[in-house]
Amino acid sequence: MREPIKYVFIWPAFLVVLIIALFPLIYSLVASFQAFRLVPPRPPRFIGFENYGNLITAARFWGAVINTATIVFIAVALQYIIGFAVAVALHAKVPGERLFRVTFLIPMLMSPIAISLIMRMIFNSTIGPVDDLLTFFGLPNLPFLTNPTWAKGVLITVEVWQWTPFVILLILAGLQTLPRDIYEAAEIESATPWQQFWGITFPMLLPISAAVIFIRIIESFKIMDTVFVLTGGGPGTSTETLTLFAYQEGFKKFNIGQTSALSFLFLITVIIFGVVYLALLRPYLERSR
Amino acid sequence: MHRNTSLGAVIGGGLVAALIGGAAFAQDAPNFDGVTLNVGSMTGPFIASAHKAAAESWQEATGGTVNIIEFPFGELPTKYLAAMVQNDSSFDVITFAPAWLPDFSPYLSEMPASLREDEAWEDIHSVYRDRLMRWDGKFLSQTMDGDLHALSYRLDLFNDPDEQAAFKEKYGYDLAPPESWDQYYEIAEFFTRPDDELWGTAEAFVRGGQQFWFFFSHAASYTNHPDHPGSMFFDPETMTPQINNPGWLRALEEYKKSLDFSPPGSLNANSGDIRTTFAGGRVAMNFDWGDTGTIGADPEQSQVAGSVGSAIIPGSNQIWNYKTNQWDTFDEVVRSPFMAYGGWQTAVPSASEHNDAAWHYIQWLTNPENSLKAALTGGSGVNPYRLSHFEDLDAWSAIFSEEEARQYLGTQRGSLDAENVALDMRIPGYFNYTEVLEIELSKALAGEVEPQAALDAIAAEWEKLTDEFGRDEQLAAYRASMGLPPL
Repeated sequence: MREPIKYVFIWPAFLVVLIIALFPLIYSLVASFQAFRLVPPRPPRFIGFENYGNLITAARFWGAVINTATIVFIAVALQYIIGFAVAVALHAKVPGERLFRVTFLIPMLMSPIAISLIMRMIFNSTIGPVDDLLTFFGLPNLPFLTNPTWAKGVLITVEVWQWTPFVILLILAGLQTLPRDIYEAAEIESATPWQQFWGITFPMLLPISAAVIFIRIIESFKIMDTVFVLTGGGPGTSTETLTLFAYQEGFKKFNIGQTSALSFLFLITVIIFGVVYLALLRPYLERSR
Repeated sequence: MHRNTSLGAVIGGGLVAALIGGAAFAQDAPNFDGVTLNVGSMTGPFIASAHKAAAESWQEATGGTVNIIEFPFGELPTKYLAAMVQNDSSFDVITFAPAWLPDFSPYLSEMPASLREDEAWEDIHSVYRDRLMRWDGKFLSQTMDGDLHALSYRLDLFNDPDEQAAFKEKYGYDLAPPESWDQYYEIAEFFTRPDDELWGTAEAFVRGGQQFWFFFSHAASYTNHPDHPGSMFFDPETMTPQINNPGWLRALEEYKKSLDFSPPGSLNANSGDIRTTFAGGRVAMNFDWGDTGTIGADPEQSQVAGSVGSAIIPGSNQIWNYKTNQWDTFDEVVRSPFMAYGGWQTAVPSASEHNDAAWHYIQWLTNPENSLKAALTGGSGVNPYRLSHFEDLDAWSAIFSEEEARQYLGTQRGSLDAENVALDMRIPGYFNYTEVLEIELSKALAGEVEPQAALDAIAAEWEKLTDEFGRDEQLAAYRASMGLPPL
């Protein structure tokens, strides 16, 4: 009460947060307990946990969870491994390092929709250059976008291609902050480059690695545009992700109740994965301090 | 040369007629100076180009402005509904499918009576005017394109004496446009020659690429029983889904079989792809909306111009009887041409702030002169739907040879007038019904599930949706859409 003026400054910000974040959140939480459709129009009706029950017992929901998790974990693992390797190479001042540093960042700066449209042409089984190349070498055309396994492979490839630069950028920044004297001491002790990497570089970059992977996992869970353009979630629903499923329910069928429940289940799924990830990593992070 | 001369003459004549007609219309045109109409359309050239052509002259005549907003086909209902349910005036005119009308109807304005009082109104074929432009007793939309599935085939191949002799020797009957699906597959097999870059047929198979209408066209032949009208999709007395009955199963198995005679990668083909495939001379036949005919006949877009034959899609002499749960056999093949999609329609959302101008624009877009010009433009996506369109053989000779024009118009009109013409499904909650259909269809085509399992899954979901939306309401709406009286 000593400085009441501070409330004058805090309240507008609090109201903005309330209006743009909390109100929609509470509204959708309420809607998730209702049978609520805009098309065909039906007045909202309280149905308790029925929307949640329907989703949890639906094979399509679990299919979307598995598809999302598969794409996220494989793509992020590859992004990290490749990104780390490239960052170490760039840090070692390979010839043309400056050029590589700029060009490697270009995919990350491009629109996912534009990339997906180009990739859809590249992996087209009739006119795409990838299948043309296979045909040139006498190999059969591969159903890149029409076979569930290949389609997931293409989605992972596109994700890796676009987002590995993000890993490169952050790991490179981490590498540049490592103290030089530790490496000099290791060299005096005749440590091989391999030993230096596993004994110094990797452990010291563990905190930043954990952050990079965490950001990429959270971001990748939201994957939608790439899937929408490349496969539309098909064939069938074999590449449908959680966000695309929510989009189909909300904006194709206008099933507001079910979509709200799906959004909260999505939130819970991401929180579970995030908490498990941090719990698994905690001992290593504490050791590296 | 002759074709070019006649093309110039007819287009010139058409333009003069359009200018005279347009001038007469323009004299009466109200002044919409300062009014900007936002018109929603599918991404061009299909349909959007027809809007652009009409918008140009409408702007000159009325002083108004037309802003055409284009979206990919799969995004159209989402964009429209998102605006309309919020009473948002983003669109003054929307272009959409008749099947979406039940879901759009609460948000559309009724067509002014003045638009239904002239000869141009009577000139619209009754299947479009009386069956598809009306919902719940009100005229809410105006057809701007006539759509049904018809067969296109290569005259150069079918009329080749060597091909005819070889076909007769192999199959024991004359090579001609197929009357039944059995013949369709024998002809498709005969012309499938990958070494020559030639395949038997082309159909759309990709989810979101107008896929399920092709499946419906197969199914109409086996499920649209002439003695039980309106029983193709649901039992018209109980709303029990019919989609997993043996007629539909046979249709799905055959639809899948078409992949064996289609070019590689066809599982990813949409309706636009199969038009270019036909025009590129890679297939002997396809079935599609009328666009394959007009694109195939256009020398600038086609390698088979001058050789585009048209025929009503094949039928069957066996049709599943849902009452007796048996196949009924008919003495002759019953043709059940399917009113796939039913043509693009235009309507004015209730939220539009320019209702008068919007309906005037629609009247302009669809008047006999402008609509004929659009129908004669390959790639406009507009197919004939007015009686005058079918009768003006001279105008069609501008883009077709006489034989092509005669076959094309005869097929379009013959399909519409067929006794057992099959109407498309129109029902509230349409997108819910078709979503599961597309998903299961894609799984079956990709070999992930057996056809019967896919159809059973669709039927189970349809049953659930009907219960959720209210069985009595859905039944009443379905019966009305099929032209059946209330129970």
